Amino acid sequence: MITAHQISKRFGHHEVLQGVSMKVEPGEVHAIIGPSGAGKSIFLRCINGLESFHSGSIQVGDLQLTPQTDARGDAALLQSIRKRVGMVFQQFNLFPHLNVLQNLCESPVHVLGKDRGESETLAMQLLDRVGLAAKKDSYPRHLSGGQMQRVAIARVLMMKPSAILFDEPTSALDPVMASEVLAIMSQLARDGLTMIVVTHSMSFVRGVANKVHVFENGRNVESGPAQRVLQSPEHPVTRAFLELTS
Amino acid sequence: MPHASLCLGGNLSADDRKSFANALRIQYFLFTKGLTHVRRRFGAFLLLTVVFAMWVSAYADDLASVRQSGVLRWAGDQEGGGPYVYPRSDNPNAVTGFEVDLANHLSAHLNLKAQFVQGEWTELPEMLQTNRTDVILNGYELTPQRRAMMNASIPYYIYGLQLLAKKESPILTAWADLKNAKARRPLKVGVLTGSAAEVYMRAFCGESNAKVTCEVIGYDGNTDAMREVETGKLDGALEDTPIATFYAARFPSLAFIGKPVSEGYYVIYMRNADPALLQAVNAALISMIRDGELEGIYRKYGIWNDEQQRLSAIADNARFYGYPETAETGKQRTGGPAEVITTTVREHGWNVVRNYGGVLLESAGMTVILSVVSFPIAITIGIFVAIGRLYGPSWIRFPLGGYVEFLRGTPLMLQLYFIFFFLPELGVAIPAFWTGILGLAINYSAYESEIHRAGLQAIPHGQMEAALSLGMSRWLAIRRIVAPQAIRLVIPPIVSDFIALYKDTSVCSVITIVELTKRFSVLSMSTQATLELVLITGLLYLLMSYPVAVLSRRLEHSRVMA
Repeated sequence: MITAHQISKRFGHHEVLQGVSMKVEPGEVHAIIGPSGAGKSIFLRCINGLESFHSGSIQVGDLQLTPQTDARGDAALLQSIRKRVGMVFQQFNLFPHLNVLQNLCESPVHVLGKDRGESETLAMQLLDRVGLAAKKDSYPRHLSGGQMQRVAIARVLMMKPSAILFDEPTSALDPVMASEVLAIMSQLARDGLTMIVVTHSMSFVRGVANKVHVFENGRNVESGPAQRVLQSPEHPVTRAFLELTS
Repeated sequence: MPHASLCLGGNLSADDRKSFANALRIQYFLFTKGLTHVRRRFGAFLLLTVVFAMWVSAYADDLASVRQSGVLRWAGDQEGGGPYVYPRSDNPNAVTGFEVDLANHLSAHLNLKAQFVQGEWTELPEMLQTNRTDVILNGYELTPQRRAMMNASIPYYIYGLQLLAKKESPILTAWADLKNAKARRPLKVGVLTGSAAEVYMRAFCGESNAKVTCEVIGYDGNTDAMREVETGKLDGALEDTPIATFYAARFPSLAFIGKPVSEGYYVIYMRNADPALLQAVNAALISMIRDGELEGIYRKYGIWNDEQQRLSAIADNARFYGYPETAETGKQRTGGPAEVITTTVREHGWNVVRNYGGVLLESAGMTVILSVVSFPIAITIGIFVAIGRLYGPSWIRFPLGGYVEFLRGTPLMLQLYFIFFFLPELGVAIPAFWTGILGLAINYSAYESEIHRAGLQAIPHGQMEAALSLGMSRWLAIRRIVAPQAIRLVIPPIVSDFIALYKDTSVCSVITIVELTKRFSVLSMSTQATLELVLITGLLYLLMSYPVAVLSRRLEHSRVMA
């Protein structure tokens, strides 16, 4: 349901993405790994229109993004895509002036026009699911990093997206908190959510991902089933990277 | 209020007609032959200009319109002080002085009511030209420069310039001492800025030649220079004879040096446009001179002297210029005046607080109103400007940037002058109070917009990204996510700006608004109780700004807790 075809992007003379392609079917979990600066996050952000690109195209269901897609003129198109494809950020990006419950209900009420009571009920269910029902009236500054990321995941789930993009969700967390968050993500994968995850956590890639893509210097150098790529990497870059991380 | 009327052709000058025709020609050219983008962009602008040009406020017949309103507006500056126009000690909101009496008598002759209009002394001609007053009556000397721009009545007073110095001053006992300084340095002489005394003194001191024998320092108030002589900051002061005589009692340590020099005339100035008003005023003056009404007024203030006898000779000659014998001639007033005005001794201490506290409080009210009405407007405009500059399309960012730089880069005083004195020439006349509000709001909106912009930009970009990725529109994201966070950041600088605006309201005195600082100047001039007044005024300003500081702290905390 998400297809990226030959995406290229440059900043001035620097080519940050060079002809990247990817195809994600519903229910699949794709992981993107590789060294820093390889363009993994930028590629992810092209999918929900937070970044523009210079050539190629992106298809999300029946909606299409092209180099001509303009943030101002195609605002409605971008909004539709973002309602279908949510995002979880490395820095959590919770709204500090709202408490946890308000963070969750903000978009359903003001974007989807849902009734507040209904949204709050759903919010409590999701908070339960991520283990944070007790924190519903707390403000983000009272939460630990792991708790904040779990709230962020719940917030995205409120919009009932078809897919979620995870941009290094555990990179800012210590191993204990990271494992809490990864546990939630595994659960979501088991429940059939379509996910594209940029991560450095090899255990997640091994245990949860269906497909893995290796990025280096803006190129998708190797793609394949997770097990196969991790056991027997073909590309030298993949090999070198896996050596470092195991 | 201005007597603006929409009229074409009739009262427009030849120049006006020509420029109007040219504007139309340019308009036509651009619309038919001009480049497309020029057409679109400038067409609308020119249309606006043409509409304004059409709405030229042609000055209706002055005398007729004055008679129609039943009111003769005459302009002066209370800060100028006695004996001309100064606040009454029993009711500091009202004015008294020989010119007040003169204006009242004059208006009575014309079957009109006199209405005093306050303005900065140096700006009175502007006020006349922009129809905010009908005549200028405030010790304005007859000079060729002024004659060229305005109509002058016959003289109503013959003044001289009197040199003053400290009694028994070793260095200044005669005019000659100014040329060969007994002291080793050039002597300092104070004058009223913009007056004939200033012109005379500068010429005398030879400033036009390289050799400066004495130094001329200008002051805004009539008695400022005299006070400075008393304190020793100046060696001498050159004042018009009425001032020197009237305030002699208040400055007992000063003495007159020599006889008055450089005689001149005080006249009433009117607009060039219509001679009928001039005729009527002159006829009234002649009548007042002939039947002794004028002498009565001058004796009351102690400024009558033998020189003034010559006024009747001038009045007599005026007959040759077509002024008919007025009905009241021949009626000679005899005997002394019913009352004589003398200046009081300087007031001190609690007397000042008691007598003037009330009127200062009222003017403080004006200061508060000006600030409290204009600041929210400034903040609101600032919000839109900031959002436009940060999130708007490129064709809006450039003009908004220009708006901010222009308003920040030019003085508030100039902007107020522009709105008050220049816009009426384009047909847009705004009363003084609203000019103050508008000027302050617009000027401060530029500063507020920059504060808002900084606040919005200080919010991490991730907040906007998170909001957008949850499907919010840009506008919703700004409104519900970014701006609320920015508010807490901008509270301290905005409050700071409000306190600054509060004191900037004093600039509004140049467009005739009497707020706290102007009232202070006026009273300081008329009572000389400067120290007491400074303390009271300063205290009033502090009392008004302190609650604001407390409120802001509370606002900040409430946001943090939230």
